[in-house]
Amino acid sequence: MEEQNISRRSFVKGMALGTVVGYFASAGLSSTVFKKALLPKEKLEQVDIGEIKSLKLKVISETSWYDNNVFLNDVKGAGGLLVNQYTIPWTTEMVKSGYKGSNLGGFSTLIEAEFMDGTKKKFLLDSGWSSDWMEKRYKDEGVDEMLAKKQIEFLVQSHEHMDHFFGIQAVLKYNQNIPIYVPKGFYQEGFDLLKGKAFPEAKVKNDYPHKGTITVLDSSKVNVLYPGIALMTFDVPIILRVFGEQAFVFNVKDKGIVLVTGCCHMGIISYMEAVRKKVKGGEKIYAVQGGLHISPFEDWDPQYDDLILAFNKYGVQKIGANHCTGYITAEKMIKAGLPMVRGTARYMTKRDIYLGNGDELLIA
Amino acid sequence: MSEHSLDTLWLEERKRIDLIKQPLRGIAGVVLAFAVFMGLWWVFMDPRGWLRWYTPQYGYMYIRWLLIVAIWQAYIFNFWPFKRKWMEESHPLKKGIVLTFINFAITGLLIWGFYYYFFGKLAIPYFSWPELQKTGLSDFFSREYSSLAILMMAAIASWLSPIWPAAFENYPWHGLKQPAKGITVFCVTFLLTTYIFFICMHPHYRVLFYPWQEFTAAFPWWYDSFRTLSGNFNVGWIMCATVAVWLSEMTLEQYPFRLIKNQPWRGIGGFVFILLLALIFFFLFVFMQDVVWGVSVEGAKRLMAPDWRYLHAGELAILVLGVAMILFFYFDNWPRKFSTEVNILIRVAIIIVGTIVFHWLYYKVSPALLGTQAGYSHPQQFPMAPIILLINVLLYHNWFMDGWPGKRIKVEGSK
Ligand SMILES: [Fe+2]
Ligand SMILES: [Fe+2]
Repeated sequence: MEEQNISRRSFVKGMALGTVVGYFASAGLSSTVFKKALLPKEKLEQVDIGEIKSLKLKVISETSWYDNNVFLNDVKGAGGLLVNQYTIPWTTEMVKSGYKGSNLGGFSTLIEAEFMDGTKKKFLLDSGWSSDWMEKRYKDEGVDEMLAKKQIEFLVQSHEHMDHFFGIQAVLKYNQNIPIYVPKGFYQEGFDLLKGKAFPEAKVKNDYPHKGTITVLDSSKVNVLYPGIALMTFDVPIILRVFGEQAFVFNVKDKGIVLVTGCCHMGIISYMEAVRKKVKGGEKIYAVQGGLHISPFEDWDPQYDDLILAFNKYGVQKIGANHCTGYITAEKMIKAGLPMVRGTARYMTKRDIYLGNGDELLIA
Repeated sequence: MSEHSLDTLWLEERKRIDLIKQPLRGIAGVVLAFAVFMGLWWVFMDPRGWLRWYTPQYGYMYIRWLLIVAIWQAYIFNFWPFKRKWMEESHPLKKGIVLTFINFAITGLLIWGFYYYFFGKLAIPYFSWPELQKTGLSDFFSREYSSLAILMMAAIASWLSPIWPAAFENYPWHGLKQPAKGITVFCVTFLLTTYIFFICMHPHYRVLFYPWQEFTAAFPWWYDSFRTLSGNFNVGWIMCATVAVWLSEMTLEQYPFRLIKNQPWRGIGGFVFILLLALIFFFLFVFMQDVVWGVSVEGAKRLMAPDWRYLHAGELAILVLGVAMILFFYFDNWPRKFSTEVNILIRVAIIIVGTIVFHWLYYKVSPALLGTQAGYSHPQQFPMAPIILLINVLLYHNWFMDGWPGKRIKVEGSK
């Protein structure tokens, strides 16, 4: 397939052409002029959300399920990670490490904010999974009475995942009128469950139909709820057919920004980057609390090490991580010198290397 | 090659006659190859199909090994132990079945016999699914982690091995007879492959396991410059190198380094040229992603993660190769009537346009057709696996079966 009579001159010509093209291709790419012209520009539109005086975060429950293998087998048996969570027969019996034999626990955090004038308000983030377990935990911590006395202003659903939402009956039992905030992307099944519909396949029901207001928040803006308290919503597709997650942004006077999450499926780095771009003072994040969704099943990928190493560069001073952060991640974060807040390993939380059930984080 | 060539391959020597006219031959060839690919995909890979090996690394491991074994068969061993007469006179269907069977058998033997139960058992557990599982790792991740290690051996080899017969013309072993020549070149290229594996992938396994395996593997040397600990950085550029070898061999007809007359300079020129081409591809594709999605963020997940961007540069490169191979095998590497430079420029233009179309088509239809995950960055959306399987089918068809029924061998003395 070749004509071989190529002169030395045409060889030189060919090499020269190749070199020139190659040079421009690679030099062009690395030149800053080129980068400036083509790369998308970063938009900084910071919203001033105001300030609060102090913040108290209490972990009601961070143990979403008790046995990773049982959980993974439930998912695998139903057809994998893309299956609708309302159709999976979750294991509620014969689990040795479970609560009364059930593998289901839940995630829920009680938040108390003190405003600049000294008044205080309480909020609830997420309602857990097993209503049995959640009711026990709410009673342990006196949340049942706070709900009954209307001392809790509203409930924020971080996202629709079963471990953050299916325990809703345990909240509504004590206050059917509590206002609820959900992220855009909540499915009809979710609204139906709030209204009292049961999903026997997934072993979930709600005998106390919700009668209060439901507000759907979207990602178009930072949603300021009170001075110094905001919610940010992220449009993320999540496993088990869930969409969208929201999380809290607090601005505590003299401390800085405090982020409080449920599962953080949007990724903690993306969350901090979004806050940096959209919230005044977002360059300085003082504390992060909640699930960070890194190694929920104790599996690993070097990408997670990238996260831990990058985390160090944000200068966060307190990390009250738990839940889907994973124990391996927590160990690695401690080793990496990150300021992990330790817990007490009580009420079914297995280890004290992160903030567990009944533990508290005070920002003041 | 010309009469000056030191060594020639059967694939270059064979003379074929066209049985069908273009463009029908090309179109029919593509349709046939695609149908066979779809059958193989459904049987072995599709998450809705029979064996469901597309997890994705487990299935991808087999696909990469089928490719490198085919390269060994055709390029390194020049179809030894089969005689030239057998290659010329056997029916293409018979040749296809025999050679493909050998291809599958060697692949299975190497993965199960060599890696799982010999090398992985006696030397390095991450090369063995059963050995990793014994450490207490879950079944799924044992299989995925070991598959990545095993497949990267094949990936590096499919970049390095063809350089010897193609660019170096097997110098300085061109005078040896088969199988001595094949064995020698195989040993040399596989030795280099092993070194590159340990430099590029072993550090990935240092950080993959907990705690970090700091006494057995070096810290990933690419971390400071490329902002990730993941071996995906190397997976990406090595994929670009595999693509660069085949583009230089087919689309560029080894131009311009083939103009160097003497060995080993020609081979060295070829090696350097291919590496440069690979790096240009790699950085160009990374840059294009920065333009479209914004610069990646250290520690971020999925689409915004630096390591995924590198992996995706390799995925984009493989789309290019798919198009270039179809042009080469089924449309006679059109055009060939102008000067080499002009031919190449026109081909490059066709491949660029073809790749854009292929890219659009792939991401549109693959979730429904192949059972991959929708979107770009999910681990279950991994275009390298299906496209290299398609390329394997193209190689079986054109290397093992002479492109029959579109073409067949012209035996000396026959009309
Ligand atoms: Fe969760
Ligand atoms: Fe979740």
